[in-house]
Amino acid sequence: MKSLDARTWKVIFAAALVVLLILLPFFASQYTVTTFIRIIYFGFLSLSTGFLIGQGGMVSLAQAAFFGIAGYALGLIGHERGVPFLLADILAIGVVLFFGAVFGLIANKAKGIVFLMITLAFGQVVFAFALQNTTFLGGWAGIRGIRPPILFGIDFKQTANFYWAVLMIYFVGLFVLWRIAKSPFGLMLNGTRESSERMDALGYPTYWIKVIAFLIAAVYAGIGGLIATYNTGVITPTTMQLPRMIWILLMVILGGASYFWGPVIGTIVVVWLDVLISQVTERYNLVIGIIFVLTVLFSPTGILGYLDNMRRRNKIPILNKFNNRKIQQEKESS
Amino acid sequence: MSKKWIILSLLVMASMMLGACATPAVQAPVEEEAAEEAPAAEEPAEEAAPEEAEEPAAEEDTIDIGFISAFTGVFSSFGKMQKEGAELALDEYGYEVAGKPINVIYEDDQLDNEQAVTKAKKLVEQDNVDVLTGLVSGDEGLTVGDYMKDKGIPVVPMYSASEDMTMREFFPMVMRATWTGAQAQDAFGYYLADELGYKKLYQIGEDYSFPWNESGGLIRGFCRGGGEEVRSVWFPPGSTSDFSSMIASIPLDEDFDAVYYNGAGGDAVNFVKQFVELGMVDKIPLLGQSNTFEKPDLDALPTDIVGSLSAHHTTDDLSNPNWVDFSTRFNEKYGYDPSGASAFAYTSMKMILEAIEALDGDVSDKEALIQAMLEVDMSDDPRGPIVMDPEWHAVIENVYIREVALADDGSMYNKGTITVKDVSQFGPYDPDLYMAQPPDGNSYPSGICAELPPEMLEGGGYEYVEFSE
Repeated sequence: MKSLDARTWKVIFAAALVVLLILLPFFASQYTVTTFIRIIYFGFLSLSTGFLIGQGGMVSLAQAAFFGIAGYALGLIGHERGVPFLLADILAIGVVLFFGAVFGLIANKAKGIVFLMITLAFGQVVFAFALQNTTFLGGWAGIRGIRPPILFGIDFKQTANFYWAVLMIYFVGLFVLWRIAKSPFGLMLNGTRESSERMDALGYPTYWIKVIAFLIAAVYAGIGGLIATYNTGVITPTTMQLPRMIWILLMVILGGASYFWGPVIGTIVVVWLDVLISQVTERYNLVIGIIFVLTVLFSPTGILGYLDNMRRRNKIPILNKFNNRKIQQEKESS
Repeated sequence: MSKKWIILSLLVMASMMLGACATPAVQAPVEEEAAEEAPAAEEPAEEAAPEEAEEPAAEEDTIDIGFISAFTGVFSSFGKMQKEGAELALDEYGYEVAGKPINVIYEDDQLDNEQAVTKAKKLVEQDNVDVLTGLVSGDEGLTVGDYMKDKGIPVVPMYSASEDMTMREFFPMVMRATWTGAQAQDAFGYYLADELGYKKLYQIGEDYSFPWNESGGLIRGFCRGGGEEVRSVWFPPGSTSDFSSMIASIPLDEDFDAVYYNGAGGDAVNFVKQFVELGMVDKIPLLGQSNTFEKPDLDALPTDIVGSLSAHHTTDDLSNPNWVDFSTRFNEKYGYDPSGASAFAYTSMKMILEAIEALDGDVSDKEALIQAMLEVDMSDDPRGPIVMDPEWHAVIENVYIREVALADDGSMYNKGTITVKDVSQFGPYDPDLYMAQPPDGNSYPSGICAELPPEMLEGGGYEYVEFSE
């Protein structure tokens, strides 16, 4: 056992997890698979929100709007105009990029609470527009009847096929975002988060760094919106309402906003809590709220923050198998 | 060392992916057949059987009914009313039909369509429900219906009134024992024009599908009865609590005969209060859509509106023995009188239970279950005799035109004035003609009666009899 270092442990753990997830439709109930699809599309949205918060220190409330814009664009372009699969989706992401650019260029002039309020305003404008436009967005009813495609003879209407497809997309999405976070660009973004004045002084274009990060996040929210729309077959204004956005923020903070994997863990926990608790009581939002308050009270850095803290204090030895950097440092110093 | 592990894990992943790609090919035919169940009328019985066989006797023991409604959020009162009505029917049977326990699984969707589909998926995939019911709003019904289309499970919408569910987007597994938005309003509109001699109506409506459908019915009936114009102003539901500008811009000098408020819930309470406060009740009569003056919202309205007319399939002073019985039992259990939503839920749940009883508890064949629902005798329904249309799985039933009246204790109630017998969801029209028209919206049908297609102005009216029951 001693010969295995932390990195190896991580890889084994990740591989086991990946294998389990891929094999899920073979041993889990269909609803479990459906729930994981839900985790994946909300996962994209929370990843998008978490990326901005964790890497860029930007709390945006407009992400659910991008989620919805992608869905509406898919409904309008793909479903109503009959543009084929992939082209319609690429166009939908293009629409998201357009709105992301418009919002991002304006919102990033500000930071902190002002940035939050501007993105809130954008989110609400998009929501209200979708709700009130009955001529082509369908008002309250939204757009119905959007179906996943049949490709190479594989029918993605079937839950298992759809699950594997979106799982692959999620893995790729996670990998790409991980690379972005660890790239020079990611470091520039981290620097901007810590002190944009200092980054400015060093000659970095902090405004553009933030705009690009905003665009990346918009695309991730958009991909989530596309998956969600294919999954439920309907896109409605309620998809973009503020409670949804707050729910996503809750996921991100519960998982651990400053950790890359925080939103992922948070989404899994919150979606499953939602599913399990709503079977027991109608007051499920209350229960989730209490769990959230307790988490924030006892571990402001979320679930991952708590685990990380335990690991550093060597309380749960198995965690050291994943990351023993800190402990080694402490040993060296002592 | 670690590279070796990465390569190994990649290999494992790759092999899994190959395995994953291979399996759907095996699974596909089975599931495709399941998908075709609904359209194919005769075969499903045999196809459904092997699937049932996998899940042995335990499945057979209970009958699961999925119930989606809004139990939290803005519209939670509807969820509560539906649940109470349904529970009354379940109590009658003691939650047991033909020796099999009935298990109702309630799911809350907050009237959010995305949630509604998610909950429907849960009920179908995890709970393997035998019947799906509940549903409050029209959009919710259409969205869930869109998902349920190929599932081969009966869908029994309760208060959800979107006419397309039993019309343009009909599928054989849907069975609605309640109403459509236009159904009562067509009779109401014709009554206003033909009996009261109204020529011009001014409509203020909430801008979404249910009021559109109510408006569509009203305009068709009104124009057919000899009306000239229904001018409409639409506003997004829940967007404002200040209606003073909307009320002030009602053109009193243009000879409108009445104001038709096409909305319900909190908006209606705010609107009607301000309508009274601004002194409009004395200047022009106020009419409501089906839900505007429904209990319990009616209790929050000022008594100045006594005399206002509306039309629905129930009314608070029905006195036939079935309604009295239902209303008394409801009052005993919950301590207040039932609303239309509760009565509709009661009818729907009772139809489901009676159909299950007729099949002696064997619900494995869903086609047979639908057939049994069609054959349930509902001539003794609390809200008057109901006949199911075997082709469109919608009801032909009474419409009551009611006026808001003051009871002895000072509270208001809906007092029946006119009974219109045997109204179908198509009104007096031929189904093909009706469905050839575009679905009702906020710009269709046109409010100018002369612009309606001439064939939509034919068909005549109904027999209006004095309310007596």
